[in-house]
Amino acid sequence: MVSERELVERAQAGDTGAYDALVSQHAKRVLSIAWGIVRNAHDAEDLAQEAFVRAYQSIGRFRAGEPFGPWIFRITTNLALDVLKHRRRIRHEEITESEPAARRDSADLPARTNEIARRIDEALDELPAMQGIVARLHLVEQFEHREIAAMTGLSEGTVRSHLSLARAKLREKLADLYGDGDD
Amino acid sequence: MTDEEFFERMRGHAAPLRYEPDPFTLARIRAGVRERIARPTAMQLLAAWFRPLAATLTAITIVAAIGIVTIDTRATNDNNLTTIGDSSVEIVVAGDTYSVGR
Repeated sequence: MVSERELVERAQAGDTGAYDALVSQHAKRVLSIAWGIVRNAHDAEDLAQEAFVRAYQSIGRFRAGEPFGPWIFRITTNLALDVLKHRRRIRHEEITESEPAARRDSADLPARTNEIARRIDEALDELPAMQGIVARLHLVEQFEHREIAAMTGLSEGTVRSHLSLARAKLREKLADLYGDGDD
Repeated sequence: MTDEEFFERMRGHAAPLRYEPDPFTLARIRAGVRERIARPTAMQLLAAWFRPLAATLTAITIVAAIGIVTIDTRATNDNNLTTIGDSSVEIVVAGDTYSVGR
């Protein structure tokens, strides 16, 4: 099996087949990250494609030997945040702490989502935009603070702060599910 | 339950919220990326420019060649008829030359 490093080196040399293999390896996760931020399947698909194309266009600057995942995740997150900003600009609204994240079509929720997950999803959607995005990356995509900071361009301290605020709000909203002693 | 424990439990419960795309979606993304990153080489680019031009010139050449051949054939046929009708025949008999014609 060809290593990721070799695929990156071959892609840097212009081997589109090798890049296709990298796309294949990371497409699912990239799509999930994009969907978690833009909350719309069609936009997430366009965004994932755009992220991979942009990554290819600047793959010459990518340092072979480093993992490809964090790099493509960062590109995806930046593009997704740009989409949110663009949506807000269209609506002539400013990003404020009191504004909830963009709502998604409920039909977009994964079919296997159970009731608890559905409640968590709703609670995450009610959080202020950046808190919701950071919390989703941590809770759903299982990224650590450092990784979220690298992906979003926020400092690790800001990420911790967003998570702390989100945690307090989520705990309040989901008190019936996560009350003390409740398993 | 501490804040950390609360978040850890939530992480477990939130896992199904991760987006699971169907194979068609993934195939569309791969195909879209492949199409957009496939850059033509310099020769392919030149070929793309010259191919229609070459095709047009070839068509004109073929039509012109067929036209010339057709006109030439007609002219030759006409000339042959005229030549046979108009020409005289010289016959040499015992050193004397006789011309037979119109």
